[in-house]
Amino acid sequence: MEYVVQQIMNALAFGAEYALLALGLAIVFSIMGLVNFAHGEIIAVGGYTMVAAAALAFKNPMIVIGAAITAAVVASVTLERVAFRPVRYADPTTGLLTAFGVSMILQNLFLLLVSPRPITVTSLFFLEWSIDLGGVRVSSLQLFEALATIVVIILLMLFLRRTLLGLAMRAASLDFEMVRLSGVRANRVFAIAFMISGLLAGIACVFIMARRGSVDPHLGFDPVLKAFVACVVGGFGSLPGAVLGGFLLGAVEVAMLVMLPQSLGGMTDAFVFGIIALLLFWRPDGLLAPRSEKGDKH
Amino acid sequence: MTLSRGIKRGFVGAALLTIILVIIGLITSYFGSRYQLRLVYSTYVNLLVVLGLQVFMGNARITNLSHSAFMGIGAYAAAICVTPVNIKALSLPNAPWGLNAFSLDPLSSALIAIVITGTVALLVGLMIVRLSGIGATIVSLAFLVIVHSLFLYRTDIFKGNQAFFGIPQVFNLASVIALSAVVVFSVRIFRESKWGVALRASADDEVGALSMGVEMYRLRLIAWVFSGMLLAVAGIAYAYFLGTISARPFYFNHVFLTLAMLIFGGMRTVTGAVLGTFVISLGLEMVRWLETGPVFLGIDLPEALGLSGIALGVVIVFTMALRPSGIMGEHEIEDLVLKK
Repeated sequence: MEYVVQQIMNALAFGAEYALLALGLAIVFSIMGLVNFAHGEIIAVGGYTMVAAAALAFKNPMIVIGAAITAAVVASVTLERVAFRPVRYADPTTGLLTAFGVSMILQNLFLLLVSPRPITVTSLFFLEWSIDLGGVRVSSLQLFEALATIVVIILLMLFLRRTLLGLAMRAASLDFEMVRLSGVRANRVFAIAFMISGLLAGIACVFIMARRGSVDPHLGFDPVLKAFVACVVGGFGSLPGAVLGGFLLGAVEVAMLVMLPQSLGGMTDAFVFGIIALLLFWRPDGLLAPRSEKGDKH
Repeated sequence: MTLSRGIKRGFVGAALLTIILVIIGLITSYFGSRYQLRLVYSTYVNLLVVLGLQVFMGNARITNLSHSAFMGIGAYAAAICVTPVNIKALSLPNAPWGLNAFSLDPLSSALIAIVITGTVALLVGLMIVRLSGIGATIVSLAFLVIVHSLFLYRTDIFKGNQAFFGIPQVFNLASVIALSAVVVFSVRIFRESKWGVALRASADDEVGALSMGVEMYRLRLIAWVFSGMLLAVAGIAYAYFLGTISARPFYFNHVFLTLAMLIFGGMRTVTGAVLGTFVISLGLEMVRWLETGPVFLGIDLPEALGLSGIALGVVIVFTMALRPSGIMGEHEIEDLVLKK
């Protein structure tokens, strides 16, 4: 029983992390059609900020966490202004390749200016202890991660459905020109999209750092690759699809970790991607793809 | 049989490119040092990769990030076939399925490697061609990661990050130049063929091309498998010259390097692929020199690891912002000499 509950918690925690990142990717994609390959570097910016904040002798871990999330939001909005503005209305391939280039620049800047080696951050270890939940021991970190993700998803939903700006964002994903004609500033919509995306990446960064305890230039690569796959499975551009894809990927990954023999340990990701590939064979557009006819103008 | 105007122009363009490739090769083999020869050789191997990439990316206009994996599959398949039994007994003592108990001549090994890579490309392609552009890109990235983890995990077959040594070094600069000339011709003819034209049309206007009876998925699959086989050829040329291979060169850095080459030159044309490869290779050598921290004009510059990666990223970002279709755009080299 305990084993089953623990594995379900594992799946939820993995899924929560992927869902957070996938949501951040999907919200940017739904509005400007940009596949943001530089999302992983936003996480790394958060990680390095933790190193800096901890080195400045901030003993309070809340300040370290706050600094990391703020840095991720600032980095995300800055990238939009500096790098993605020239390709704002370009076709998806141009945007994708730009983001790919930005991601490489940032990764190599970390390499050049900081260090190619991992740097340890210990200030978040306090988040991890074991909780007794009705006779079953689970990790507090996993519980926090699952809860935080659920809260974030609810808040995001309220923002998108109950506020004027949220309405503008949802409308922008359908017909951007129309939104601009009704007097909403384009710059504002893009800035908010990247702000939300950076915020989600910052929250994911806190949990990733709490689990790994160290940061290196490639910190974001693995989780963001998974988040991309989650987006594809859910249907690229669909927010519910991103969440569903994230949790599905988490479940498949934990199932593979449990079922595969120890000797195949290094191949878990290969099996996970293989299963996802079969799913795409059945539904090439993803599970919850936004409905659109071929030839529709976006 | 009469040839279409596009194909005739294609022959002229490919011939012009071949002349340039041969001249560059001749100059380096007369004046170049041993080290420079190796550099030029690897540039030609990268040219094969970029041409292979162009077949799919340039015609179907879907970004592929898995090309280095196909190059790796070709290189390893040929290496396993061609390496003599006594060396394999030493380097792969635990190889399964009797892989270390046979060896073939270089030509049949190369053919087997191309067939194997083509089969893998077909299986992967069956899925990739049906996805939307972005989905296909992400899945190709996932495929790159899968193949790399397989190379690292099955050390009994691929030796992972250790060197797979003892491959007969049967290639020299002349052979890779001859090979690249053949590939330039076939890639250019494919671009101008009925298939190439229909595929490019479907990339420009999917609905329009479908309504004209273009079988887009089938054409994408043909281009994908052809691209995979050319990438295998590049991998084989790499292995047959160096004599040792490992998993590292078939991963992210190489994907990124060759992608930058194709994008900078212009992915829509074969001329762009050739131009991008040579310009980026040359530029990168200068950046690498800066990276080692040289003394320049009396100033002792610091060592700067990562500078070449930044330079490549900057090239991609600026190309996309200023001229998204690359330097050549829609122009091929024969536009310089022939009338429109």
